[in-house]
Amino acid sequence: MTSHDVTLEWPDGRTLTLAVDEDETILGAAECDGAVLPYGCRTGACGTCSGRLLEVEGAERDADGTIDACAVDDAIAYRRLSRALKDRHRAAGYVLLCIASPRADCRIAVGSSVHTELVDNPWK
Amino acid sequence: MSDASTPDDAEPSHDHEHHHHRLEGPGYATPQAAIEEGGREKLAYVMSLYVGTDVDAPDFVAVVDLDPDSETYCEIVDRIELPNRGDELHHFGWNACSSSCHVEGLERRHLIVPGQRSSRIHVIDAKDRRNPELAKVIEPEEVYEYDLSAPHTVHCIPDGEILISMLGDADGELPGGFLELNDDFEIEGRWEPPGEIEMNYDYWYQPRQNVMVSSEWGAPKTYYPGFDLEDVEAGNYGRKIHFWDWEDGTVEQTIDLGEEGQIPLEVRFLHTPESTHGFVGAALSSNIFHFWRDEDATGGDERYRAKKVIDFEPREHEDWDMPVPGLTTDILISLDDRYLFGSNWLHGEVWMYDISDPSNPRRADSLSVGGTFGEVQEVQGRELSAGPQMIQLSLDGERLYWTTSLFSSWDEQFYPEEGERGSVMLKADVDPRKGTLELDEEFLVDWGECPAGPARAHEIRWPDGDCTSDVWQ
Repeated sequence: MTSHDVTLEWPDGRTLTLAVDEDETILGAAECDGAVLPYGCRTGACGTCSGRLLEVEGAERDADGTIDACAVDDAIAYRRLSRALKDRHRAAGYVLLCIASPRADCRIAVGSSVHTELVDNPWK
Repeated sequence: MSDASTPDDAEPSHDHEHHHHRLEGPGYATPQAAIEEGGREKLAYVMSLYVGTDVDAPDFVAVVDLDPDSETYCEIVDRIELPNRGDELHHFGWNACSSSCHVEGLERRHLIVPGQRSSRIHVIDAKDRRNPELAKVIEPEEVYEYDLSAPHTVHCIPDGEILISMLGDADGELPGGFLELNDDFEIEGRWEPPGEIEMNYDYWYQPRQNVMVSSEWGAPKTYYPGFDLEDVEAGNYGRKIHFWDWEDGTVEQTIDLGEEGQIPLEVRFLHTPESTHGFVGAALSSNIFHFWRDEDATGGDERYRAKKVIDFEPREHEDWDMPVPGLTTDILISLDDRYLFGSNWLHGEVWMYDISDPSNPRRADSLSVGGTFGEVQEVQGRELSAGPQMIQLSLDGERLYWTTSLFSSWDEQFYPEEGERGSVMLKADVDPRKGTLELDEEFLVDWGECPAGPARAHEIRWPDGDCTSDVWQ
């Protein structure tokens, strides 16, 4: 089974690199390693487990600094539809770790603060 | 497991049960009997959660001491930790209430505690009111088999069965529906024929009138990640209420509340079992609608009417770009059907209206506390990081309690400090005779001090029935 190195990076500076098989989820691999990541539905509907791709091996960045959308799609395979993410989220590199499996080595920002980036207070 | 099979095991929990024959059912014969016989609330069960945070702990049910004569008054005296993380405990209910008052041997003993995000359903045995224990878990996969997810409102239905409103299908999309559990807390199946409704949220039934009313939030995939105005513009949030034939489980009438009825959440019939009047709070539009059965109406089955009777205007705030809606997230009716209470989470307000004439509610009083505009922003030196949200009223209508968390992802948008500091539970003293509310500054329960870290607090229930769970036949 092919595996890829996935490095999780928390806001407090902690990092953890996991070898994640292509048939396991990043959340599942992290749990097996004893790492605590937020999650909710585990079906791709709630977005609680959102991570944000920081780097994909070999991928170019667009002019605005985001990882090329095609590279994002190539780096992550989903076992179900990623319903919690809108197009703008996917384009910005957000990943639902509960249903995502890697197809490339990558670095991902994790922790509950990533989920809070998905929507703003619309009145403020 | 069936509570109907072990009448001799019953532990009298309040004076009321001493007054009746031991084989009679749970609850109270009438709403007035609950007021007279219920006694003062000594404990509260409160949904408490860590979902969505980095705290490595499962959600829990908090047991809060509300006895002013107790040494642990205002403290969380027990926590029933659930086996998994990620549930998002939200709303919950009893296996039996006053609607089963006639069912011999049935006890109000088990709390049905769903995980809103996980779709996992927990059964907690609260025979020992101060030290409840987890008795059973229904795993999400069992729920998904019925193409349902996101359990919300729990009501018992007479004879020991339990009905849970479900907001999505197995994938977190529409339609939602209703899941029925039997009195052994096993899934009986879908209660309604699939496809009766698209969106779902809260519901209330009035068995003597053979009617149930349900409201609408949205698809789980819409509201789970947070509130997005794009979804409002796309019509992804609800604005309808549905009137059901209670016996058949089919929708007889749907009323579209229109632009002023966006996101109708908590829906309540009056407690008097003969009544066909009720109220629903439209959270986003921040309006209250009165609904009632129009006996003079013609035109087949379309006999329920709904009319906006309370309108909370958005308020300007110098630091916000647009006028801020009140966001009316919870309402309840006092057991004597005299007052409607509610919370405007963003404005920071709890309010009470005289509904003696339900068509013409009269503002009685309000409290400006917490939230974006609240005049009181700290209690006992504890800064309030969000507005009043889930409310619960004492049976006698003299004490109103509330917590401050709405939904973890929505909290993060509007009150990000709620996750860092945790929720609080506050209380106001109510004078039903004068129609007044007064903040009890001596009362504070702080979820910011939980051992594993600050937790959010949501729905509140009393051990022996309350204004938002008991129904009378």
